[in-house]
This record gives sequence, C-alpha cells and structure tokens, in this order.
Amino acid sequence: MSLISRNISKILFQPCQITAARCIHSNVPPQNAAKSESTEREGNRIKCTLIPGDGVGPELVASVQALFKASGVPVDFESYFFSEVNPTLSANLEDVASSIERNRVCLKGILASPDFGYLGELQTLNMKLRNALDLYANVVHVKSLPGVKRRHDNIDCVIIREQTEGEYSALEHESVKGVVECLKIVTAKKSQRIAKFAFDYATKNKRKKVTAVHKANIMKLGDGLFLRSCEEMAKLYPTIEFEKMIVDNCTMQMVSNPQQFDVMVTPNLYGNIVDNLASGLVGGAGVVAGASYSANCVVFEPGARHTFSEAVGKSVANPTAMMLCAAKLLNHVNLPLYGQMIRDAVNKVLSDGKVRTKDLGGQSSTQEYTFAVIANLKPPQPLKSKC
Amino acid sequence: MATRILFRRNKLMNIFSCRAQSTMSAFEIQHKTPLIKKTTPIPVALYGGRHAVTMLPGGGIGPELMSYVREVFKYAGAPVDFEVIDIDPSDESKQIEYAITSIKRNGVALKGNIETKSENTEVISRNVAIRNELDLYINVVHCKSFPGVPARQKDLDLMIIRQNTEGEYAMLEHESVDGVVESMKVVTETNSERVARYAFDFATRNGRKKVTTIHKANIMKLSDGLFLDTSRRIALEYPDIEHNDMIIDNCCMQLVSNPHQFDVMMMTNLYGSIVSNVACGLIGGAGLLSGRNYGDHYAIFEPGTRNTGTAIAGKNIANPIAMLSASVDMLEHLGHLQHANLIRGAMLKTISDDRIHTLDLGGTAKSTDVVQRVIDHILESDIRP
Repeated sequence: MSLISRNISKILFQPCQITAARCIHSNVPPQNAAKSESTEREGNRIKCTLIPGDGVGPELVASVQALFKASGVPVDFESYFFSEVNPTLSANLEDVASSIERNRVCLKGILASPDFGYLGELQTLNMKLRNALDLYANVVHVKSLPGVKRRHDNIDCVIIREQTEGEYSALEHESVKGVVECLKIVTAKKSQRIAKFAFDYATKNKRKKVTAVHKANIMKLGDGLFLRSCEEMAKLYPTIEFEKMIVDNCTMQMVSNPQQFDVMVTPNLYGNIVDNLASGLVGGAGVVAGASYSANCVVFEPGARHTFSEAVGKSVANPTAMMLCAAKLLNHVNLPLYGQMIRDAVNKVLSDGKVRTKDLGGQSSTQEYTFAVIANLKPPQPLKSKC
Repeated sequence: MATRILFRRNKLMNIFSCRAQSTMSAFEIQHKTPLIKKTTPIPVALYGGRHAVTMLPGGGIGPELMSYVREVFKYAGAPVDFEVIDIDPSDESKQIEYAITSIKRNGVALKGNIETKSENTEVISRNVAIRNELDLYINVVHCKSFPGVPARQKDLDLMIIRQNTEGEYAMLEHESVDGVVESMKVVTETNSERVARYAFDFATRNGRKKVTTIHKANIMKLSDGLFLDTSRRIALEYPDIEHNDMIIDNCCMQLVSNPHQFDVMMMTNLYGSIVSNVACGLIGGAGLLSGRNYGDHYAIFEPGTRNTGTAIAGKNIANPIAMLSASVDMLEHLGHLQHANLIRGAMLKTISDDRIHTLDLGGTAKSTDVVQRVIDHILESDIRP
C-alpha cells in the first residue's frame, strides 16, 4: 500500500515541480525546457541536523523520514544521538552544536531532563544546547486542526517565549541550611530582543496584536523591565496593537476565551506554562509544532515538550507535531511547495478522521497514520492553476 | 575668512567626534556632534539566518521591478523576508513616517524612487526626507561596464561617492526681497570628513589606487573650499592612496572624453547627482546601475539613477537589471555572499553572454524575458545553501 502511494505521489509531484520552475510568467514561453529536467541535483539538496531525542522521538522521526522519502524532498539528514538520560551513548554537545551551526537548520525530538542531575549540574542538556547556540526565541503556533474536536475551535495564536534567561538561569544555591534561593535573571538587552522578535514576527505574518504576558505587579523590577522593553518596542510598530496581561489572568482567559489572543510574548517560565496550556486546548502534545530561533539557526521541535516515554515501542504516538515541524522546516529553507504539500496531506487525514492515533480518540498506530498521510500527498493546488 | 578660522579651531574636536562616536555617552553625542543624528540601538532583524528587509516599491516602474526581485529571490533561495510598504504619492506624511520607522527597525531597505507630486513648498521630497531622517550621508554608485552592452566607453570601473544629506540639497530657500530668491548650500566639516574618510577607507579596503575630489572651489571658495580642504587633510592619513582634485566642469568633460583616468571619485551632493548620471550614460543607461546609501546605522539600496520611469510603467519594457543589482548589493551587505554571487553571475550571463537586452539597451526583449533568463541561469547553476 505504502509503496504504491509513494510512487503515485512521486509521479504526480515531480513533473509539477519542473513545470513550476518553467512558468512563473505565463506569458513567457518556456525556453529550452530540457535543461532542468531533473529536479534533484547534488547542489540543490539541503543538509539538516537531526536529533531524534528521547522517548517516542525516534519513532516520530522515522515517520517524518518516511514521509520525506515518499515526497522526494531534497533534504539530507545528519543525525546525532543526543540524550541526557543516556549520557554514555550521547554525542558531544560541541559536535551537535557545530553541526547545527553549519547546517543552520535542525529537526529535533524532545530531550528528557531527569529530575536530578547525574553530575550535580543545574543546567539541563536542553538548556546547554540553547545557550550554546543562543536559541533565544521559542515560537509555538497553536492552531485548531480540522477534524479534531475540542472544547474550543478557531484557536489561532502564536506564543513567543524567551528561553535563555529568566527562571531558567540555573543559578540556585542554599545560602543557609534549609533556605534555597533561585535567581531569576531579566536583562534589558534580551527583553528588547525578544520583544522585537515578537513584533517582527507579527509584521511578517500579518498579525494584528501582540500581548505581553507578565507578572509585573509582584515582580516589579524583573518583570517590570521585561514589560517596559516590550512597551518601548511597541512604539516602533504603530500598526500593531499592543496589550499586556498578567500571567494568571492570561491562563484563565486562555481556557475561557482563547480566540482573543494573537501573538503573545512571554518570559521563560510563563511561556512554558502557556505553551502547554494552549497545546492542550487544540489536541495535546502530539499535534503542536514549534521552533527555536537564534540569529543564524533554527531548531524545529514539537511545541509542547513531552517525551511520552511510556509509549516507547508501542507505535501509538501521534507524529503530527513532528510532521508539521518538518513542513515548517521546508518553508524556512525555501521549499514552500513541499511544505504545503505535507501540511495539506496532514490536514486531509485529520479532517477525514478515518485514521487517528490514540490521543485523538482513534485506534490507529503511528505507522498506519504515517501511511495515510503519505497516501494523501498531492501537489498543492495553487500550482496547478498557475501553470 | 572668519568662518574658515572658526572651523579650524573646532577641528580637533570634530576629529574626536567622528572617530570615537561609539565610545561617547549620550550626553556627549548630543552636545559635541550636533550634526550626527542620535539613535538608540535596536536589535537587528535577523532570525534563523533570515533577514527582514523593508521594501519601498515607490512609483512608476518600482512595483514591477520589485516583483521581479521577489521572483528571483524565490528561485535563488535568498534568505530575506520583505516587509512591503506602499507609499501613496498623494498622501501626506503619515506613511513616510511609518516607512522610516520600518527602516529603523530592519536596518536595511530596498527602495524604488518615490514620487513627490506636490510642488507646494511645504512638502519636501520624500526621498530626501528619508535620507535626512536616517542620516544616510553616503551615496555610492559603482559604474562598471557590462561586456556585451553597446556603450560609448568600454571597461569602465568607477566608484562615485557622494555626500548625500547636505550641500545644495539642504532645502533652505527663501525670497528675501521680492524677486530675489536665495538658496543655501550648506557644507559642514563633520559631514565632509565622514565622506572623505569613507572614500579613503573604501579605496584601502578594495585595493583602489586613486581618489579624486570633485569640487568648484575656484568659485565657491568657502563651501567647496572646506570640502576640498577636508579631503586633502584626510588624504594625508592615507599615504598609499593617490589623491587629486578636479573642478566639476572639467570633470564632466574628462568623463566623456577620457573616463579611464578616474578610479574613486568623491564629491558634494549636486555634483554627485550629475556625475553619476553622466557615468551611467557612458556605460549604457539608467537601467543597469545600482546605488547604495549608507549611514552609521542604516543602509538603503536603490537603482543608481533616481528616476521613477513613469512613462514606461506597466509596459513590460523596463530594464530589471538596475533593481536586481541593487538587491544583490543588499545581499552582499547582509553577508549572504553565496546568494549574491549566484544572482550576479546569472545577471552577467544574461546581459553579456546571452545578450538578452531590453529596449533601453537597443534590444527587443521584454522585462520578463530578462528575468526568466536570469532565473534559468540560477536554476542551472544549482547552488542552494
């Protein structure tokens, strides 16, 4: 079944890519069409670092790879086993970081963080990777999926989270026995940077509103600095509405009236909480994609970070999140047609509702779901009308 | 003469101001360098290797040229996201303000020419407003011949560096007595020095041999004299680079008769406008060259001769090369050298080898034919990072 569908989609898709290249201006007759006959030339391929992660990560990554193979995506993976719970087999942080720096894109599963460190270190591997690459902005696009019935529909919000400082500074100490202090660091520079990121994101994606989530009524200096930086940045974007909301109110609004939110910008911990809350509203950790940005690299990873380690080997995990991550990745590296194709296929399978994994109330396995998506791969519609 | 002496006295202070701007406090910047615009640093719009860039299509052929740029960028895979801001020429200053804010946020812009329809003295030219507001004090036009393009002169390689914010474009005009209009030309030592320093630094960086200062100091002894004096003084700090000067009228004659004697040329605002148009004409017209405007914090890239081309808008005959090469300059400025080389190479092949020329170069090709061929070359040379 999978083999047939794979070949069909290949046949359907490849000629369309060629013609797509030829006819951007419909009034220009295609000249020497024979020249770019093959779509897969060596120099055209994109290299991407791959970190399967812990828990069900490897299974999810396998289904993305199957999907890429079936759709003929010109992406090569450079995979690294990277794990904190299995330190003996794990690749070096330096190797992984330099690979991501070189390739500039990475697809990553979730790394499990043990509750206590083996080495007595306070920084988790995730945090180390983020700090090494300065992946300061985490973007999670929470969007209601077709065919997934939940309490709310038409949710479409983007949560942008600062993830290199704040509560995740890994600076904790016991000054007197029985008294532990944990430092929350807020700097003007990083606050401005994340605020500008949020507004630039809103500008680029034609969003209307940015909401800053804070707790400046209690942490007047720390969160106050964050809030002031956002306010200052908002002045540079007169076309985008800016509002602020206290984090406790924000979570309540999120579960009662989530449609009011557009782009949200948050410090580290609040972002983590709001991410997970919003993901829960649209179908859970298995369906929400996210990305972490630095100035030069992007790491695409599921939006709500759960390893789902109890499902390892059972083939019940939902690969939707990872597939949507892959689609975003393709958009980012200038292969938007492939990205659109994958997203359309996923939407088709979800809205048909015949093949569903357990978390969405179905009985299908990860593999069956993947095959269903592959079977639904079609060249995107706008292309046809153009040609 | 008194003014000259006054300038000399301030010289030490001015040198200090140009050099050590980054290390000075806000108070010092405010009080010691009144000519340099104050800015608070804003983080650059670079996310995941993709730059955000403001795009101002402007009037006339601007919008169509911009659509070609986007098409070419799509096929070249250039990691740039454009924020397009259309400026309505009849609208008052609201949108231009927004455009300036957007450039401040992104740091870089690609721009067509914006029409200023109003002849009303209250309304200043929008192009000049943008340059002044962002303190883009340098304009650079690189006049390099394309082999295969019919032109008066072959193998030209001139660099025209122009003061961009003051001089004749100070926009200080008044009618003191009925029937007598005075227009002020403002030359300041600070700005002259910034231009001279840029010119000599540029020559050093790019292995150029000679810098020529273009002026009219025999008539305007104080204003152009100051510009000339400043360039001579800066030249002393660059002993490896030959420096000479030439009067603007002679320069124009030399340009059309023997342009190969020039290398890097620096001049005040109006002369720059004239000289860059002359030089463009020598190598094949307004459709080929790109111009770059630099300030301390921002950069704007545009076609080299600032014409809107309203007459040929919408006819698919405008030459897309000028805007494409402006976009390539922009990619170089942003550090995406691989993409820049890819597009530039494709452009050169189209113009020089395939000789796909639009009407202005004596060809018969449509704009879209040129763009299509450029895209074909890009697809053939298969580099994708």
